[in-house]
Amino acid sequence: MMKRYLMQRLLMMIPLMLMISFIAFFMLNLVPSDPAEVALRVSNIVPTDEAIALMRHELGLDKPFLLRYLSWLWQVLHLDFGQSFVLRTPVLGELAAALPATLYLAFVTFVISLVCAFSLALICLMTKTPWIDQLVRGVIFLLMALPNYWLALLFIWFFAVQLDLFPVSGLQESGAVFLPAITLSLSYIGLYLRLIRGAMLTQMQQPYVFYAKARGLSSWQIIRRHVLRNALPTTLVSIGMSIPALIAGTVVIENIFAWPGIGRLCISAIMGRDLPMIQAYILLIALLFLVFNCLIDLLQMKLDPRLRHH
Amino acid sequence: MKKVVGLFAILLMLLSLSVNAKRENNELDYASTKDIMDINPHLYLGEMAAQNMVFEPLVLNREDGGVSPFLAKRWEVSADGKSYRFYLRDDVYFNDGEKFNAQAVKLNIDAVLANKARHAWMGLINEINQVNVIDADTVELTLYHPYYPTLTELGVTRPFRFISPKSFIHGQTKDGVKDYAGTGPWMLAEHKKNQYARFVVNPHYWGKKPALNSVVWHVIPDRQTLLLALQKGDIQMIFGADGDMTDMEAYQAFSSKGQFATLMSAPIASRAIVLNSNRPITHDIFVRQALEYAVNKADIVTGVLNDSETLAGTLMSPSAPYSDVKVKTYHYNPDKARALLTQAGWLLPAGQTVRVKEDERLTLLLSYDTNNAAEKEIAELIQDNFKQIGVELSIIGEEKQAFLDRQKRGDFDLQYSLSWGKPYDPASFVSSFRVPAHADYQAQLGLASRAYIYKLIDDLLISTDEIARQADYRELFELLADEAIYIPLSYSRTKVIYDRQVTGVGFNVSQYEIPFEKMSFRP
Repeated sequence: MMKRYLMQRLLMMIPLMLMISFIAFFMLNLVPSDPAEVALRVSNIVPTDEAIALMRHELGLDKPFLLRYLSWLWQVLHLDFGQSFVLRTPVLGELAAALPATLYLAFVTFVISLVCAFSLALICLMTKTPWIDQLVRGVIFLLMALPNYWLALLFIWFFAVQLDLFPVSGLQESGAVFLPAITLSLSYIGLYLRLIRGAMLTQMQQPYVFYAKARGLSSWQIIRRHVLRNALPTTLVSIGMSIPALIAGTVVIENIFAWPGIGRLCISAIMGRDLPMIQAYILLIALLFLVFNCLIDLLQMKLDPRLRHH
Repeated sequence: MKKVVGLFAILLMLLSLSVNAKRENNELDYASTKDIMDINPHLYLGEMAAQNMVFEPLVLNREDGGVSPFLAKRWEVSADGKSYRFYLRDDVYFNDGEKFNAQAVKLNIDAVLANKARHAWMGLINEINQVNVIDADTVELTLYHPYYPTLTELGVTRPFRFISPKSFIHGQTKDGVKDYAGTGPWMLAEHKKNQYARFVVNPHYWGKKPALNSVVWHVIPDRQTLLLALQKGDIQMIFGADGDMTDMEAYQAFSSKGQFATLMSAPIASRAIVLNSNRPITHDIFVRQALEYAVNKADIVTGVLNDSETLAGTLMSPSAPYSDVKVKTYHYNPDKARALLTQAGWLLPAGQTVRVKEDERLTLLLSYDTNNAAEKEIAELIQDNFKQIGVELSIIGEEKQAFLDRQKRGDFDLQYSLSWGKPYDPASFVSSFRVPAHADYQAQLGLASRAYIYKLIDDLLISTDEIARQADYRELFELLADEAIYIPLSYSRTKVIYDRQVTGVGFNVSQYEIPFEKMSFRP
């Protein structure tokens, strides 16, 4: 059953990826800059009409749109994303070199967010004094509302410059990941906290909790054994879907902390109209979303046997 | 918003405690917003300051516009100005151990010429006929015309610098090189893309070896983080031309802190507004002249640039070669500007703020690159100046590529024009007027005197007669001033903020180079 479902989902991803690739290719073709001219300019070649014509031919831009799309797609299927206009190196190599840094940052951010959100959610639920719940939520939502580039500078100034606890930027020194990860996690702690707390509150109002209390179980036992287990599937979907968003959302923070990941690569590609790089980035992020969507669905099925019958 | 964040960051810094700089291993930490990239000296992908550390020219450009011997210990120019014979130093080795000699010079220049299209901005490229090896240490360059800026262009940062022939791939450099073996005081020891590059002293260096052991070039793309890294002592220097690394607010904030020193170069490059003569409204010379009189340059220099740049009366700084020429200057005079607009038929209807002519409003468009913080503020001041004389100015800030696209289409009434500074000015700058992708080309399209301007440029570049050349330059600058095609604003200066522990900080002639080899830590 699971295998069939997995196959179905994987097959579904093919037309979806094709659609995304087409849309990405089409939209980027609408950009007013002529890619041939951009390619010339980044190499400091004066874009004369002849040079542009030559470059258009070299990049295959003189062919009809559909033909260009198909030949690009064919190359992509062979894992050839072409050469970066700006860096003059294969796009795949650049992305592969930058991806680990972003995944590392995203992973640490995810762990920090999840641990903090769970702990805070438990504090909020178990506390007998309502103002603690309100205070925690208030502070977290306030931090969430602050723009993270602003917080990032504030954190660098305080934790790195004043207290000398962390390096200002880069990835070379140990502990360098914490400041960017903490900054990024602030927005996710709030999000996760709301999800986890909401789902758990809903469960807390279920009759089984009432009966568990009647059986004499402590609140901690009820939460650990029953509420958490039941609240998990609903929160899992949202949390799981936030992972690719997390990976795609490191752009600003990577720039401020000089983190050599794909976010920075993407920003400079956009600024330089580096079309092959932007196209590959879009495909990569789209693929991440689809894969995570699929994984989360499978995990949900595993946790909730009822879903397998649908 | 960016400004608020910037001010905030500076405020934080002023409040903060001083932190001692690190100076382990006699290593200088420098940071830039950009990675050094591919420093192949014959291409343009790499950072010029990094290329200059590793690769050297035959001759060195001087502040006074002349050139000094460098890898060539002397040279002779033939009477007709078409042949240059260079006598090379015989004690120079590339850092891979290979000898620098006439053959290496020939191979390098030939490799550059094999890629002519990429160097079209440089006049010398199309003038070189042949490179001949005379003997092991003598090489001769023959030209088609007696092109006068030959020595200057041989001395600029790229492309005529020398890389070991062993680094060539299939005898060429245009498609990449195997490694970066140069003759310069530094060699690239380590490069982590988008993170840092470490340069160490070249053990084979023929000249005075640097006092520092190494220079680490860190990449910090965000300018505020760059300042915080300096504050903490992670880096000891920020060095940059025209607001690409730091702005005046940060410069002043750091000037007042005891731990840091600041330094500003002499005026280098010209900042001007170019008026597009090929557009319906600015085609009229009266309108262009009116706009010249409308701009309050003193306000710009004091208010926006905090006196970090010098007010410009003429397009080229008088300190640039051939540029100390008396030409027509336009001093701020709104009344005269109004009178000129009225004379041109642009009238201000009662109760209106914008002039009209045959139902058309006097609305102009200024576009600028959003990467440059100062340009936006200058544009807003000009907008206000123009409003006083009944001209509506819409300002469009675009990111670089969109800005360049608009420039190439000529779809602007006003745009910024920045010269490259010494040693490129004025020869390379005026030479580039003829390149269609430049704002200058587009802006001059509507001038009746355009053909004559080009003829003057052609003549002055290959004139062998110093007096005739000066006369051509004078005529060119007079013509451009009379046509009111540029509104000169200021002469920009390169700024450095550095830790006081570092000594020997100064400038090269080119604003794009950094003389790390002269720097050291205070004992």
